[in-house]
Amino acid sequence: MFPRRMRGAHHAECVRYATNPVLALRDIRKAFGSTVAVEGLSLEVRQGEVFGLLGPNGAGKSTTIGIATGLLAPDAGSVDLLGLGSPTNPRVRMHLGLAPQEITLYGELTARENLLFLADLYGLAGAKTRVDELLALVELDTRADERTAGFSGGMKRRLNLAAALVHDPQLVLLDEPTAGVDPQSRNRILELVRTLASRGKTIVYTTHYMEEAAKICDRVGIVDHGRMLDVGTVAELIARHGGNSTVTVERDGAEVRVVTADPVAEVARQFASGGVTGVRIDRADLESVFLALTGRSLRE
Amino acid sequence: MKAILSIAKKDLRLMFRDKGDVFFTFVFPMLMAVLFGFVFGGQGGGSKITLALVNESGSKVAASLADDLAKDESFEVTRAETRDAAIAAVRAGKAAAAVVLPASIEEGAGAMFGGGGMEIDCIIDPTRRAEAGLIQGKLNELAFRQFPRMMADPAQSKRMFDQMRASIESSKDLSPGQKLAGAALAAAGESFSRSLSPETAEGAGTDASAGGFSPVQVKLEELPKRKGGPRSSFDVSTPVGMVWGIAGCVGAFAASLVVERSRGTLARLRLAPISRMHFLAGKGLACFITALLVQALLIMLAVAGFRCAIAQPAMLAVGCTMAAFGFTGLAMLIAGLCKTEAEANGAGRGALLVLALIGGGTIPLFFMPPVLQTLSYASPFRWAVLAIEGPFWRDTAVSDQIAPLAILCAIGIGGFLVGARLGALREAR
Repeated sequence: MFPRRMRGAHHAECVRYATNPVLALRDIRKAFGSTVAVEGLSLEVRQGEVFGLLGPNGAGKSTTIGIATGLLAPDAGSVDLLGLGSPTNPRVRMHLGLAPQEITLYGELTARENLLFLADLYGLAGAKTRVDELLALVELDTRADERTAGFSGGMKRRLNLAAALVHDPQLVLLDEPTAGVDPQSRNRILELVRTLASRGKTIVYTTHYMEEAAKICDRVGIVDHGRMLDVGTVAELIARHGGNSTVTVERDGAEVRVVTADPVAEVARQFASGGVTGVRIDRADLESVFLALTGRSLRE
Repeated sequence: MKAILSIAKKDLRLMFRDKGDVFFTFVFPMLMAVLFGFVFGGQGGGSKITLALVNESGSKVAASLADDLAKDESFEVTRAETRDAAIAAVRAGKAAAAVVLPASIEEGAGAMFGGGGMEIDCIIDPTRRAEAGLIQGKLNELAFRQFPRMMADPAQSKRMFDQMRASIESSKDLSPGQKLAGAALAAAGESFSRSLSPETAEGAGTDASAGGFSPVQVKLEELPKRKGGPRSSFDVSTPVGMVWGIAGCVGAFAASLVVERSRGTLARLRLAPISRMHFLAGKGLACFITALLVQALLIMLAVAGFRCAIAQPAMLAVGCTMAAFGFTGLAMLIAGLCKTEAEANGAGRGALLVLALIGGGTIPLFFMPPVLQTLSYASPFRWAVLAIEGPFWRDTAVSDQIAPLAILCAIGIGGFLVGARLGALREAR
């Protein structure tokens, strides 16, 4: 469903989608006064992938998202959206949807009114149908006519996400979409993200929870102090920076730890030698990757 | 345009769902208008009634009545040289009524037995109608108090009875017998009055109106309608209430703009294919519409509830529109200056309050001391009050309304541009 005012340019733009990364940031620099938020950051997000920006609070993730939306001008570097140019151009920008870290809803409006208002701004045809679809997608159709001020944190987060999808954008930027929600709501949001990905949306997902990044992201970029430290699939990053796994074997009441690149083979070898009463494998994860790349823990 | 209307519709919906904003935008200004209407109308206090007194007669009776008026605890009397000066004092709001003791007062008093009476003119401020009855009653009482004194004064008494005798003799309706009886009555009365001492005269009663006898005639009339004079206190209080209503809009919408910026909703809106100017125009339109609504509401209240008559309806519409426009620009400026919601709600509304105080938003400009009147030129409230008052009750010439209208227009445009620029700078940070 393309907004009425966009249909004329739709075909030519679709041709570009196939040949260009959905989002390309090149050598971005952004400083606020003397504080450098982003320094020489580059990334490319491919069509249909869930791209995770993983880093601690203050790493520069939200600034990167701001620059990707075109709302924040970089001091240096360039941004290209869908091969159409800079998202500072409103016609280019409307191909992306943003769910900011803050809950950007009007508490005195109902869930439906919030979405209909945004649909009006985009000049959507069939806005009511689209809004009903979205409310069903985020499982708020039964609460559609209630004011959002009374919603739980998880419900607000889901509606915040739905608001980013009103105009059916090609690229969806989700800035810490699970911040401050309970585990159950977090799982629903993660499922929602996978659902969107399965429907062909390209998603940029910022988080400081490595479990989330590992669970839903096709590729992850590790960000710290405004720099992109590395980009790859979770497996690639672990292979490059995670180091070996640790196999802990219990035998005759004593524990033995073995560091190995092939933990499965090591477990098999331990069992073959007999007397094993317990075994645990500690695989390298994104935490190990972050530790290896920055020398500190992601949670510090 | 659709985007602008959508933003305006959303903002109006938000405003009407916020009880605080509705109170300060609609209910509070109505309370202000009504409250000040009653206060200006003199129905709210127990202070002395101010009278501008003119004594056109050189007679003893007029001087005595003037003294009694000055001594009376109900009145604060200021002397005026002429009838016009006294009326001017009423027009200026310095006196509730002008009391004129005419040159004929003594002649009228002397002719009380010949169908005449002591005439007193009283010209009352129409905004002080509530006090008219009291003034009239008091004048009657004090005038009656003069008759025993006149009787006790041999010269005045002789003049009075001489007039009585002349009146009887010249009458064509009386028979010779009746004329004789009348002359005898006059002689007996004169003899009785000679026996009165001033002390007994002071203690005499004042009820002499029995039997259709009307020796005191207080002619009460309202100040003639004139350009530049309020017809009721609500004429004065309604524009003040209207401006407070507009200020309520300004406070609410300036805060809402800051909230959009600080809570991130602005970022989301700006992702839509609308420019910053679209967004601001939408917000401004909502503020403008609300400002017009509150003004319309107060005008309806004044006309339907307090029988105010609008002097120049078309120019009032122009004045209200420009006031709404100017204050919408002011809302943008305040939003641009304020960084946080707390600033907008605290400093922003506080600044509005100060501007209202010095701009005639609480006390009418003509009641203000000269220093504040000079300061008021810096307040948009002054220009809004003038733009509304002029066509509402002052019936000001159109040429005199151009200055406030132009200043409000400049405030609107300037406020919008400067506010937009400041807002853009804040967003860039």
